[in-house]
Amino acid sequence: MTGGRRDRLAGFAFVGPFLALYAFLLIYPLFMGIGLSFHRADLFGARRFVGFENYARAFADPIAWQALWNTFKLTVLIVLPLTAITLALALALNRATRGAAIFRGIFFASSVLSVTIVTLIWRFILTPDAGLVAKIVTTLGGTPPPFLSDPNLTIPALAITTIWWSVGFPMMLFLAGLQQIPADMYEAAALDNAGPWTRLFKITLPSLRRTLILVIMLQTAAQLQLFGQAQLLTAGGPSGASRPVVLLIFEVAFGRWELGYAAALAELLFLLVLSVTFIQYWAVGRAAKEER
Amino acid sequence: MKRLRGLVAGLVLAALAGGCGTGPKKTEITLQRFFGECGAVYGHSIDVGAAEGECGIVTTLINRFQAENPDIQVDVNVVAWPGYPQLTAQIAAGDPPDLVTMHQSVISDYQGRGLLEPMDGVLGEAGIGPEAITPAGLRGVTKAGHLYGMAWDTIGGLFHVNTRLFAQAGLIKDGKPILPTSADELLVQARQFKTRTGKPYLVQSEVSDAASFVRNFYGYVMAQGGVLFADRRHSRFATPEGARVVQLFRTIEQEKLTTLNQDTPAAIASFMNGEGGIYPTGTWMIGAFDQEAKTTGRPLSGAYAVFPYPHLWGRDAAFVDGHAWVMPKRVRTAAERAAVVRFLKFMAAHNFDWTRTGHLPAFRAVYASPEFRALPHRSDIAPLAAIGVQLPGYVQRQSAIQGLLGEELTSAVTGTKPVERALRDGERRVDELLDQIP
Repeated sequence: MTGGRRDRLAGFAFVGPFLALYAFLLIYPLFMGIGLSFHRADLFGARRFVGFENYARAFADPIAWQALWNTFKLTVLIVLPLTAITLALALALNRATRGAAIFRGIFFASSVLSVTIVTLIWRFILTPDAGLVAKIVTTLGGTPPPFLSDPNLTIPALAITTIWWSVGFPMMLFLAGLQQIPADMYEAAALDNAGPWTRLFKITLPSLRRTLILVIMLQTAAQLQLFGQAQLLTAGGPSGASRPVVLLIFEVAFGRWELGYAAALAELLFLLVLSVTFIQYWAVGRAAKEER
Repeated sequence: MKRLRGLVAGLVLAALAGGCGTGPKKTEITLQRFFGECGAVYGHSIDVGAAEGECGIVTTLINRFQAENPDIQVDVNVVAWPGYPQLTAQIAAGDPPDLVTMHQSVISDYQGRGLLEPMDGVLGEAGIGPEAITPAGLRGVTKAGHLYGMAWDTIGGLFHVNTRLFAQAGLIKDGKPILPTSADELLVQARQFKTRTGKPYLVQSEVSDAASFVRNFYGYVMAQGGVLFADRRHSRFATPEGARVVQLFRTIEQEKLTTLNQDTPAAIASFMNGEGGIYPTGTWMIGAFDQEAKTTGRPLSGAYAVFPYPHLWGRDAAFVDGHAWVMPKRVRTAAERAAVVRFLKFMAAHNFDWTRTGHLPAFRAVYASPEFRALPHRSDIAPLAAIGVQLPGYVQRQSAIQGLLGEELTSAVTGTKPVERALRDGERRVDELLDQIP
C-alpha cells in the first residue's frame, strides 16, 4: 500500500463514523421527508402516492401563504433590530472592566432560559388585564394595548419577546469579532486625529463585515424556523395572525394527522432556509474577495 | 486473576443481596392525563374529599390509588390540554401510555385507525357493565359495538351568573336571575345590565380559546334544528342558522357588552372579581366558583348561580362531550393488565368525587345518589343531561375541527372577517380536512 493511499484510508477512518451518523440521522430522514411529501399519509403508516398534490395544495392554501407572510414579517422585525441592538451592546461592552464583564453576563443570561420560561415572563408583561405594561398604561390613564389578541400587535409582541431572548449569542459573536481587530489600527487612527465616529465607520464596521453577515444569516435561518414562542404566547392567533410556518407544520402533522401535506410544507421551508444559506456563502465569499 | 475472580464474585453477591432487600417487584403502569399540574399543592395529598377542582381531585385520586395499591407503580405524565399531539407522537413512536384521558368526541379518531384497545373485557373484569353507565356516557364511548373507553363524566357549557350584579341590573325575579328567552331579549337585557351596572353582561375568553366560540355555535345551531355535518366528508356552517348565532355574538362584541381581549385565566379572574354578569364556560368551573362564593369577603361571595345555556331559538339543546379513560393498543403483561383493571375499578368507585368538579357523572348509580343531588347547583344544571347533544358519531377529527372552526368564528366575532366569509372559510377548511381522512 502506498503512503498516499494509506493516508487517504486513515482520513476516511477518522471521518467515517461521523459521516455514517450524519447520513443516518440527517440525510436519510431528509430523503424520507421528500418521499413522504409526495404521499397522502398519516402518522400511523397509511400511505398513498399523490405526486405533487401536496405542493399544489400548499401553493393554493391561503393559510399557508398567511403563515409564510407572518414568518417573513417576524424575520424582518427580529433580525434587523436584533443585529443593531447586539452590535451596539458589543461596542459598549468591549472593554476589560469589571462592570463590562458583569453586564455581558446579564445580557447573555436570557439566552440560557427555555422558551417556556421566556414566554411566561413575557405573558406577565404583555397580558392586557394584569400585565406589567397594562399596569403602567392604566396608571397613566390609558387603555392597555391588547398585545396578545390584536392581529396588528401579536407579531410585534413575538418579535420583542424573541429579541429579548436572543441578544446573548450575537452579542458574543460581535465581541469576538471586535477583539480580533488589531489595536494598532486604532492607534494609527488616533495619530491621524480620527474621531470616534470615523473610527467606527472606517475601522470597526468594515472589520466586522464578515461577523455582521454571519449574524444576519444565522439569525435569519433561525427566525424562519420560529415556533415555541408563537405556540405558547399566542397559539398562532388571533385567526392565524401570528402563526409562523413551523407552527402550521406542527398543527397539520400532529393535530390534523396530514403528514404528507406537513412534509410538503416542511420541504418548502427547507428550500427557503437553504436559499438563505447559499446567499450567506455567496455574500461571505464576496466580502473575502473584496478584503483581498 | 484470582483477585479479579474474587472481585466479580463479590459484586455478584452484593447485587443479589441488594436485590433481596428491595422486596417484590412492582407492576408499573403509565398514565397520561390533562386537567393541569398542581403537584405543589396536592402532590402528596390522599384526602380526596378535601381536594378542589379538576386538577386537585384527579391528583389526589391517583395518589390515593397509589397508597392503597403499593404493589403498583403509577407513573403519571401530565400533558397540556388537550395533549393529543403528544399522544399521537407517542403512538407513532410505538410507546403509548397504558391509560389516557380522552374526550369522548376524539375516541373515534384513534379507534378508527385501530390504535385503541376495545375495553369490554377489561371493564367487565372491573365489574363495570354497560348498564352501569349513563346513556350519554355510553353513547360517547361505544364505537362499532364495543366499549373503547371508561366514560368518566359528561361536560358541557353553562351560564355562570353573578347574582349580585344581576340584582343591581334589575334582572332578578323570585330570587332567581332572569335569563333571556330569545336573542333579541338577550341583547335588551345585556344593554340594561351595562347601563345599570357599568359592567359588561358577558365575561368571555376570546384569546387562545377556540373551544368556547365553537361550543356556543354548535349548541345554538343544534337548537335551531340546523345540521352541522351533512355526512362524514361535508360540514355545513354557512347557513342562516349559523349566521344568526355568530351575528348575535358579533353584536355583543360590537356594543362592548362583553369583556374583550381576555384569555381563559383572565376571564376566570374577571368573573371572580365581579367584573361581568355571566361567564359562559363549562361544567368544570362550578366547583371553583362555588368555593369562591362560599368564601366571605370576595366579590363573588353569596352571589353565584349557574344554569344551562338559555333557550334563545327553536328548542332546548346544548353541545356536550365527556371525558373517558382509554387504553392505547400496546403489549401488556398479565400483571399490567390486572393493574389497569384495578385502576379503572378504583376510578369508577370514586366517580362521585370527580363530580364535585361540576361535571355530570358517568355512572347511573352516582346520578341517582342522594349525595350527588345534595351537591350545590346540581338541580339547576340537571336539564343539561336531558338536552345535551353530541356531534354525530361519523364526524372524525373533532379536536382539529374545533381549532379550525374556532379560528374562523373568532375572526367573525371580533370583526376581522365578515360573518358570511368566516363561515364559508370555516366550511372550506373543515371540508378539506375531512377529505383527507382515509
